[in-house]
This record gives sequence, structure tokens and C-alpha cells, in this order.
Amino acid sequence: MTPFMLRRIRNRLSKKLKSINKMSDKQNAQKSAKIAAGAVVCVESEIRGEVTIGARTVVHPKARIIAEAGPIVIGEGNLIEEQALIINSYPENIAPDSEGVEPKTMTIGINNVFEVGCMSQALKIGDNNVIESKADLGRNMILTSGCIIGACCQVNTCEVIPENTVIFGSGCQRRVQTERPQPQTLQLDFLMKILPNYHHMKKTVKTTSAVTPAKN
Amino acid sequence: MASLLQPDRVLYLVHGEKKIRSSLSTLYFCRYCSELRSLECVSHEVDSHYCPSCLENMPSAEAKLKKNRCANCFDCPCCMHTLSTRATNIPAPLPDDPSKTAMKKAYYLACGFCRWTSRDVGMADKSVASGGWQEPDNPHTQRINKLIEYYQQLAQREKLERDRKKLARRRPYMPLAFSQHTIHVVEKYGLGTRLQRQRPGAPITSLAGLSLKEGEDQKEINIEPAQALDEVEPLPEDYYTRPINLPEVTSLRQRLLQPDFQPAGASQLHPKHKHLLIKRSLRCRKCEHNLSKPEFNPTSINISSECQVLLTLTNPVESITHVTLVGCEEGDPEDINSTAKVMVPTKELVLAGKDAAADYDELAEPQDFQDDPDVVAFRKSNKIGFFIKVVPQREEDGDVTVSFKIRHDFRNLAAPIRPSEEDDAPTEAIWLTHHVELSLGPLVA
Repeated sequence: MTPFMLRRIRNRLSKKLKSINKMSDKQNAQKSAKIAAGAVVCVESEIRGEVTIGARTVVHPKARIIAEAGPIVIGEGNLIEEQALIINSYPENIAPDSEGVEPKTMTIGINNVFEVGCMSQALKIGDNNVIESKADLGRNMILTSGCIIGACCQVNTCEVIPENTVIFGSGCQRRVQTERPQPQTLQLDFLMKILPNYHHMKKTVKTTSAVTPAKN
Repeated sequence: MASLLQPDRVLYLVHGEKKIRSSLSTLYFCRYCSELRSLECVSHEVDSHYCPSCLENMPSAEAKLKKNRCANCFDCPCCMHTLSTRATNIPAPLPDDPSKTAMKKAYYLACGFCRWTSRDVGMADKSVASGGWQEPDNPHTQRINKLIEYYQQLAQREKLERDRKKLARRRPYMPLAFSQHTIHVVEKYGLGTRLQRQRPGAPITSLAGLSLKEGEDQKEINIEPAQALDEVEPLPEDYYTRPINLPEVTSLRQRLLQPDFQPAGASQLHPKHKHLLIKRSLRCRKCEHNLSKPEFNPTSINISSECQVLLTLTNPVESITHVTLVGCEEGDPEDINSTAKVMVPTKELVLAGKDAAADYDELAEPQDFQDDPDVVAFRKSNKIGFFIKVVPQREEDGDVTVSFKIRHDFRNLAAPIRPSEEDDAPTEAIWLTHHVELSLGPLVA
């Protein structure tokens, strides 16, 4: 082989390597939110990290969705109101920079309502749940479906909440209701019409594969 | 205001049967005795009944008939909150044409706090918004009513016998009065309980409540005695092995709020009508007049670092008021709580009257009071801010408390008009002295 041919092969190889690196960089650095078409996400909301938001979800201004220790996947038809905080944060005893910490994905199902001022760190939330104002969910909770966490209730246990459970009162009393809370379709439709009149929206991404969390 | 922010910072001493120290927002002022009264120095009387959610007023007789419950409002059996009526649209067949369905409104009760609904216990949705809900009947009502009648008759008979005996022993000029014993008998079975407290000097018309019963025909009411059973229903076999369904078990409180049924399962908890509350009227025990609200309101306290305390005094009446502050002397029997010495301004403070229109009148000339800037910090319409110096006496961990006396003049504008020879004599000002205690908070090193 002549040096000329060697150089050409080397150049082609290096170009290919560069393009491969660029592609992988793009895949790894999804630093902006993936908002499905049909979702209404106000610009004033704070979305940090790898967050995927499904269709027909409404995120009010001043809501905060922060994916620190892993990605957050939010399903369809959810209603996230003002000052709600959905955060996938590192557990308290682990420093952010330590090795060997695998990022865990936080999954949120469909038709959930996060009322004003609530904070949710729960890693798995099912469908049709209502987290009322100023409620506080710990990281080790798993909500199934139809659960209602009452206003100002701080629930930080390590358990799976059975279906249709209502947690209410200052002592976090529980009871089971016979029917699940209705999905807020009317409210969602209204908001999807009205919010764009008064707020700027974040850009949606046309995702070919609709991201729906695996139902368990 | 003391009632909203810091209720126990400023305490006033009330000279009643007991010496009570409490904040001004819980005290009353009797215009006729010109003294402070606390809730323990007044007598509370039931004025009227009302429902706390629909605010419907009810006369006492009607309330007694309805067992002190509101007819329209319900309580959640699960969390004792007020239930609200919600409507849904359900398709229902039209009465004319059974094949077509139209949307009809169906109403159900729901609790906003614990999300209990009337459908949880199996109560069907009603077609009317109010008045369709019934409490389930107590199966023992008849027996209970019969027992009550029997015992009322018994109590009456006992009372008559006792009075006859007492009358035979007493001298003839004594009226046929309620003896102490008969009051207890009457109270035992729930008759005539309105006359529990004897008013001094009031004529005894105590038999009025019972005269109806006497007028009725004295038929004998026979009751069957309760029967004791030998055999008791045995427990189900799996009573000890069946796993407990915890959400289904009712709490004691939920159970006892329904004394008729006391259900053990949550699926039998029916809503009850809401209990009525009473409005009470307060009456001064000494002069038997109804009381009025307090008049002076010392309010917010700011502690600055130089141990000089700024106090605000507001004048609620419309006339000029003169206030003098006097420190407590050594050995003052009322001065038991103070832990610091206080130097109060020696001069008299003058407060302008409350003038509602002064806020809006920009051209009003400010009244010239010539305040000493060392004493008076600011003056705004009927408020004045003045300084007192506090010297903590002990280096302790508790709160710093000072006490002093306020002396002010008070004109009773609502006094009854006495016929007098002079026309339009101005109302006399009387000087009142109150003992005040201020809690200033903990000592900072």
C-alpha cells in the first residue's frame, strides 16, 4: 500500500469515528425535555434533566419537574399544577458524584393529578391517582391506581399503596373507597384551550415512538 | 390584634371570684359595674340554636323536637366533616317512552375531606337535591319511647309525693316550691331541665313545665320488664382465624357517634344529621346586665436591642382619652409574675379619638399634641406608640415579664338616661385602673 492510500483510509476511518461519536453524544445528552405532541407545557415551568412528557398532559407555570438522579417518564393525561415538584433526586445517604449509582427511572402513569404545591419523589406512580395540595411523597412509595393522598399528608413509608386507598387527615388515616377518582378530562380540555391564550408553551417534539410507561 | 397574632403576650388581671389573668381578646367589660369580666365571672345562657353549615336559626322548642340536629345538613360518618351534595348525569328511561333515555340528574352525598360518598354504604342516588335523605330507623325506638313515658310518669308521681310530705311538715306560708330533692328527681328523668338555676327574686313558676303532664289523663303505663336470655348467639367458627380487613373496621369514635347502631363495619356507617350549635349570651353575675365587648386593645410588641420596648396603644372610642402608666410598687399583691423592672413614662399620654372619616380627609389639620420624642415614637390618628425601658432582673431562661398599671378615663355613653335637673350635663368621666402583664419573650445573651 502506498502512503497515499494509507492516509486516505486513515482519514475515512477517523471521519467515521467522529460521526459515530457525535451520534452517541446526541443520544446520551438528552438534556432537554421530550414533550409529546398534544401536551401543554408552559414556558414558566422548570423542567431539568431527561424528562419525557406524554400527550394531553398539562404542566402549569411554576411547576417543577427535576430529573437529577435519573430520567422521569410522565404518561398521558396528567395534570401538574402550580408549584408542584416532581423530583427524581438522589437518596439522602448517597452523594451525587459517587460511583456505582445507577440512575433509576421515575415512572408516572396516566390521568394523575398533582395539585398545587405537592411534592412527589415516588419512583412509581400508577394511573388515576390524585396527590392533593402540599402532600409529600417519599421516594420509596409505590402508588398503584386510584389512590388519593390527602392535602398536607406526608407519607414516607416503604410500601405499595393498594388500589383506591385514601390517605387523609393530620394522622394520615386511611380508608378504602369503592370507586376510583374520575379522570379530569373536562378540566384538561379546558386548560388546553385556555392556557395557550395566556402563556407561551414549550416546543413539542414529534416522537415517532409514543413513550408510554410499562404498566405493571 | 391580640387574638390573631400573639394571644398571650399581654395579660390583664381580672378581679373576680378568682383572680384570672388573660389576654384582652378573651375579656369583657361590664358598662354598669365598670369592671373587667372574664368568661368565668359571667353566666352563660343559651340564646338560640343554629346549624354551623347552613346557619339556619332555630327556636329552642323546635331544636328540642329535632333532637338538636339540622334537617338539611349531614355529617360524614367517617371523618365528621360536613357532607356536600353532588350531582351526576345518569341516563334514565323517559316515563313516556321506555326505549328512549334522557339524562337525568342524580344526587349523592360526598365528603370533600376523606372522599366518602353515600354510594359507599349502598345508599341509592336521590332525584331531589335536599330532603331525600333519611336516617335509618332505630329498631328499638318504640321500646325506648315507652320506657321514657313510663319513667316520666314515675318521676312525676314521686315528686308529688315528696312535695306533699314536705308541705305537711312546712309552715303554711311557704310556697309550693321545688325542693332540692325533687329537682334531682326531675333531672334524673329529664323533665323540666330549663329551670336548673334559680334566679334570685324571681317568682317560682316551676310547675309550668309539668302542668301539661298533670292535665293529661293519668293512664297507667305498663312496661314489660327486660327479659334475660340464657342462650347467647354463638360466635362464628372462623372468628379467630378470619383475617381482618382493616379498612372495614370502624374506629371507636365513628362507632360511638352512631349510638343507635354502633356498626362494626365501615359499610354500615350511615351519615347523621349535623348537630346544632348554640349562641350564648353572657350576663354579668353582679349586676345581671348583658355584657358588652372590651374597649382597649394594646397590640403589637417590637423588641429592639437596647432593651427599650415599643408599645402601641389604640383608642377605640371617639373622644380624647388620657392614659397614665404607673409601675407596680414593691410588695404589690397582684405583681407575682414579673421578672423584670420596667420604667414607664411618667407623663400622661393623650390619645385622640377614633375618627372614621379622618383617613379620607386629606385637608384635616393634624392635632397638635406636643409629644416628647423620648416618650412618644409615633402618633397616627387614634394610635400612639410609646417607649418603656425594661431591665431584666434575673438571668434566667424563662420569658421576661413586666407588669404595670394603666389608668385611663372612661365615659359611659350608653348609660341609662337618668332624669336630672340640669339639662344635658356631660357624662362624667370615671378613672379606671387595670393591672397589665406583658410577656416579652426569652432573654437573648
